[in-house]
Amino acid sequence: MATHVDTHGEYHPPGLQHQFEDMKQQEESVSIGMWMFLVQEIMFFGGLFTVYLVFRSRFPMAFAAGSNHLNVVMGFANTLVLIVSSLTMALTVYYAQKGNRNMQVILIILTMIFGATFLGVKVVEYKEKYDDGLVPVTGLNRKVKASAGEEHGEEPAKPCWEGAHEEHEYINPKGEFQWHDCSLAKKAENEGFLTPTEKIGYYNPASGQIDANKFRDKVRIYFWIYFAMTGLHALHMIVGLILMSWLLYKAWKNTFSAEYYMPVEMSGLYWHFVDIVWIFLFPLLYLLGRHFIAHGG
Amino acid sequence: MADNHSEEHHHEEQHIGIPGYLVVFGILVVGTILTYTVALNDLDSILFHGANTLVALLIAFIKMSCVMLFFMHVRWSPRLVWLSAVGSFFWLAIMFAFTMQDYFTRGSGVFGG
Repeated sequence: MATHVDTHGEYHPPGLQHQFEDMKQQEESVSIGMWMFLVQEIMFFGGLFTVYLVFRSRFPMAFAAGSNHLNVVMGFANTLVLIVSSLTMALTVYYAQKGNRNMQVILIILTMIFGATFLGVKVVEYKEKYDDGLVPVTGLNRKVKASAGEEHGEEPAKPCWEGAHEEHEYINPKGEFQWHDCSLAKKAENEGFLTPTEKIGYYNPASGQIDANKFRDKVRIYFWIYFAMTGLHALHMIVGLILMSWLLYKAWKNTFSAEYYMPVEMSGLYWHFVDIVWIFLFPLLYLLGRHFIAHGG
Repeated sequence: MADNHSEEHHHEEQHIGIPGYLVVFGILVVGTILTYTVALNDLDSILFHGANTLVALLIAFIKMSCVMLFFMHVRWSPRLVWLSAVGSFFWLAIMFAFTMQDYFTRGSGVFGG
């Protein structure tokens, strides 16, 4: 960096690359580049949000039923964890602009701790889904062998909208997707807001009743979307953590100053973007059917 | 020369300072709590069908705007960054609208027809 002064014989800010006139031009080019990347990320996640929109508009009650099974406390806690990590990231940029090395290092470490906490909670949630037989891929759920004398794969004799709150030990020797509760569809049917599309989707055409298997398949669509969207989001968090590790190394070496801090600013943009995706995922995946069951309904 | 150069563009503060960041953080936390509280109430039957989702998205949109404007410094960014940010949501809206106008007009059935 110091050689710049020698080759040109005039002053150069230490972080300025040769192809740019001055720091202002360089910073604008860098941030436009980053924003172009973020725009394609928005469209990339947008595709998944479109899938969500299409299927939820078709099967709202199946989506509500699946959503109500998620652990809302963990989802809520994770939202707060991400917001705090966004704050520490914003403050990292603030102290990078001030050239304060120690605060940068502390805040990057804090951001990484919150990011890792988020992923840890996500692992616990995924484990719960695995134990409950809610992974939409056959064979990837917890395998539970039939105990002696029991017929395996036997469905309970009661209709699927009764006994919804009973804890029943399911038998799942092949690791299949498990869903036995269609009480929410029954509630919608009783109160008359089941859409014609849902009736075709949930009813057994022969009996004209809600069919447990047909309803299960629609809940399964919800869990496909849940795993795809949160999984992709978690992947972005992992990439963010790798980015933070690199940033930590650079900050440790006291690279950033009031004149050269764009790497911190750009990593911050990425981190905040991932936070924004979660801001939408939390209400859309965890909260969409809460009002049906909140007051014991 | 050296002095002029460095003073040229780090003169104005391009952020809201620590108190400002804490205020934005407070708004985000309140928004999250509000989202959760609202979701427990059946606005669909009090107001109109879909009100719960609409309110949740409205709060999420406000939270997103706060993050973008202040944490991501869009507020102080060049016009081209504004254009990118707004443009991306415009294209997203086109994707949603064109997809849904297809699905909503396919007649009855699981996917119509």
